Amino acid sequence: MTRLVACAGMVAALAAHAVSSFAATRITDATGRAFDLPARIERVYAAGPPANVLLLAVAPEKLVGWTRAPHADEIPFLPPSVAGLPELGRLTGRGNTANVEVVVRAKPDIIIDVGSTSATFASLATRVQEQTGIPYLLFDGSLAETPRLLREVGRAVGASEAAEALARDADMQLADVAKRIATVPEAKRPRVYFARGPNGLTTAPRGSMQAETLALAGGANAIEPPPGFSGSLVNISLEDVLLAKPEIIVASDPALAASLKTAPAWRDVPAVRANRIYVVPDLPFGWFDAPPALNRLLGVQWLARVFYPQLFPEPLGPVIKAFHRTYYHREPTDAQVRALLDVAGIAR
Amino acid sequence: MSGLSSRAWFVSGTAALGLVVLVLLALGAGRYPISASEVAAILWSHVDGTSRGGTADAVVWQIRFPRIGVALLVGAALASAGAAYQHLFRNPLVAPDTLGVSSGSALGAVLGIFLGAGFVAIEVAAFAGGLLAVGAVMAIASRLRAHEPLVTLILTGIVVASLLGAAISLVKYLADPYNQLPAITFWLLGSFAAASGGEVRSLLPAVALALIVLLTLAWRINLLALPEDEARALGVDTKRLRAIVIAAATLATAASVAVSGIIGWIGLVVPHMARLCVGPEFSRLLPATAIFGAAFMLAIDTLARSIAPIEVPPGVLTAVVGTPVFIFLLARSRRAF
Amino acid sequence: MLDVRDLAFGFGSRRVGSDVTFSLARGETLAVLGGNGAGKTTLFRTLLGLLPAQAGSVQVGGDALHSLSPIERARRLAYVPQQHVPAFGFSVEEAVLMGRAARLSTFARPGESDRRIARDALARLGVEGLAPRPVTELSGGERQLVLVARALAQEAPILILDEPTASLDFGNRARVLSEIDRLRGTGLSIVFSTHEPDHALTHADRALLLAEGKPLALDASDRALTESNVAQLYGVNVRRVMAGGARSVFVVEEGRPGERR
Repeated sequence: MTRLVACAGMVAALAAHAVSSFAATRITDATGRAFDLPARIERVYAAGPPANVLLLAVAPEKLVGWTRAPHADEIPFLPPSVAGLPELGRLTGRGNTANVEVVVRAKPDIIIDVGSTSATFASLATRVQEQTGIPYLLFDGSLAETPRLLREVGRAVGASEAAEALARDADMQLADVAKRIATVPEAKRPRVYFARGPNGLTTAPRGSMQAETLALAGGANAIEPPPGFSGSLVNISLEDVLLAKPEIIVASDPALAASLKTAPAWRDVPAVRANRIYVVPDLPFGWFDAPPALNRLLGVQWLARVFYPQLFPEPLGPVIKAFHRTYYHREPTDAQVRALLDVAGIAR
Repeated sequence: MSGLSSRAWFVSGTAALGLVVLVLLALGAGRYPISASEVAAILWSHVDGTSRGGTADAVVWQIRFPRIGVALLVGAALASAGAAYQHLFRNPLVAPDTLGVSSGSALGAVLGIFLGAGFVAIEVAAFAGGLLAVGAVMAIASRLRAHEPLVTLILTGIVVASLLGAAISLVKYLADPYNQLPAITFWLLGSFAAASGGEVRSLLPAVALALIVLLTLAWRINLLALPEDEARALGVDTKRLRAIVIAAATLATAASVAVSGIIGWIGLVVPHMARLCVGPEFSRLLPATAIFGAAFMLAIDTLARSIAPIEVPPGVLTAVVGTPVFIFLLARSRRAF
Repeated sequence: MLDVRDLAFGFGSRRVGSDVTFSLARGETLAVLGGNGAGKTTLFRTLLGLLPAQAGSVQVGGDALHSLSPIERARRLAYVPQQHVPAFGFSVEEAVLMGRAARLSTFARPGESDRRIARDALARLGVEGLAPRPVTELSGGERQLVLVARALAQEAPILILDEPTASLDFGNRARVLSEIDRLRGTGLSIVFSTHEPDHALTHADRALLLAEGKPLALDASDRALTESNVAQLYGVNVRRVMAGGARSVFVVEEGRPGERR
């Protein structure tokens, strides 16, 4: 009799487990593909660096690995449990290095990708899904849509509560900045040039995904996109820069900034004359565009202060601390914050 | 002979004059609007020392002038190297990168970008890479069967270039897609946008030295166009002369690729055009080729920076513009190569 | 002028021929005959210093060949290869001028005197009218004569011609041979290889017959070119017949060598 009860109990428990697994979440990703996901997701694979940052914020305990192992100087900014995760490679996007078998061996319940949602990437996602049998969800990585992205991904990986808190914070940040700069007429917005590449002539023009940070912080991108432009970066000539007369230059790295300050041909650029060249801090993740994910929110806070010191009198230091604590789950030391402020060219 | 010679001088002289006109036009062309009189005034102010600076002055003197200089030097270098190689290999279809100098330079530059080196270091790495690649090809080829030295050289060059190409692909694969890969891609496409006085100063001695060596040996280089046995029987140390010509041509090409990336087609086609006009005799061909190459490259670069809001890669334009010109010349010519 | 003693020749580890001994005096003409693959070209390349001798010695004007620099060699030995279509269209005058390479220093360019010598060389062969034409537009016979002119421009006392009538038609062949005849009287020492025993009879003082790399006969043409020697050399039955005056020619007969009608 007891055996019968035990058996019945086991069967019931199994049934309940099965039912709970089938208590699926219905999700449609940004490419319109619909998924029925199990309610319990334990292991999530980030298909690219933007997804990596997002998952670090929303569900760090579910992350199975990094697309690229963190560098030695990034590790002090990351929580130790996450910093030590294995490197699994990038699945799609420019330069995929992951071996699909490595992905399968990591036994993720779900693969999350954030970035372009064009037909190419949608079909790549479908293909990996067919190869591995793991649901592959693709989401749009636009900066202005960060709150919605957080909520959707939170729902997909079963971390809705955490995601909701982050989404509200991101919403508040973006809304606050937008409200303050709404008072500044277009003509009064500072003209900004974003300089990349070894000679500073690679840039993300107005409307480019990689220049979103600049736009959201209220800057006027000095470079117009060429007709029919649909990518993220262009190469221009120095004459174009001189014609654009930028008042502020945001340089992607310190070496570039140094060379722009001394190059004789750049002397007549207004930003160089006024010595308003700012370097993008990049620890643990770049503040401007690399990777193009929610790490850029901090960049928006930074550039808003650079462009409109009157409108944003609050010091940046505490903002950095709060941001790292909230999104990267590790509060930086005062020394680390000071180092970041140094690179960013802001006193406090 | 005198008929051909005087025609050659006429052609070269006209080309040189055309070159001067082209330089003046190029100084006035560009996205930043400066009138012709302003350009003249700025140039004059630098001649008599009354230059006062300012944006227009910077555009003409710091941006356009060095860029024109680099375009002229690169064009002359690539075309002359191509002419020398075509004589050397007795083959009108050979280009300066046959022995792998472009692949070697590309690998040097790509590694420099990958390792995050500064702009100057990248150029130095590219230059060294080009020289090392050809050096390796020469060293390997000289240890192989020497009975067909040219075929051995070409095959070794193909193999080495292919290996270097694989290395470049590997570096692109490992590169950071947000920071390094775009920089690598743009470098490989070629560009004169970064030309400054520094580039002119580093390019000038290399190209000048190479051209002087080729010019003084020009008549002997004719003999390399003969079959190996004949040249040797005429008293020419073919192995040494070949090595010198390859060294000079590689010096010029590596320096050019280091500064402006890979620009194809000039080294292959401009020598043809020059040959169709002045004949294959090298002491006449070399000056004509250098002038034609300089003019062609300058015209291409001026177009590249004026026709579109973004910089068009010069390698694309050289193919698009040069092909119909070449077909036209071929159709009209009655001469052989 | 040219002293060859017990010469063994070949390339790499291959031995192509051996035991070749002959002396060429000033003004003499030697014809070298042999079947295909008998080693004529390898012998010539060794005589010119393009290949090292594998044994024996070659002396040119009293000096050992291997002790001479390439330039010195080019001043004493002039090579006339078989005509071929060249890669580039140099003018005839430019092509002949290349023969002056051994007489000019490395950085020098041909001067007026060099041009005069080149034109004279062309004139000697009766083709000075070809001077401005590109070599790619000439007939085979004209190209061969241009190559001879180039060799003459070297001003070397010894001329070595490798099958100068190969791939030429009947008329051009005769033309080239008559020009070579005219050169014979001018004090040049000439060595030429040929596949035609008739040519050796008429246009050479002496003949060297090579069978599988070894000398079969070396003598005055008339005496060296016997019916049996020629038959042995080419593996065909031949008869030597008089052809008017003191000339004789070889006529191929049916049947295997040795069989007589």
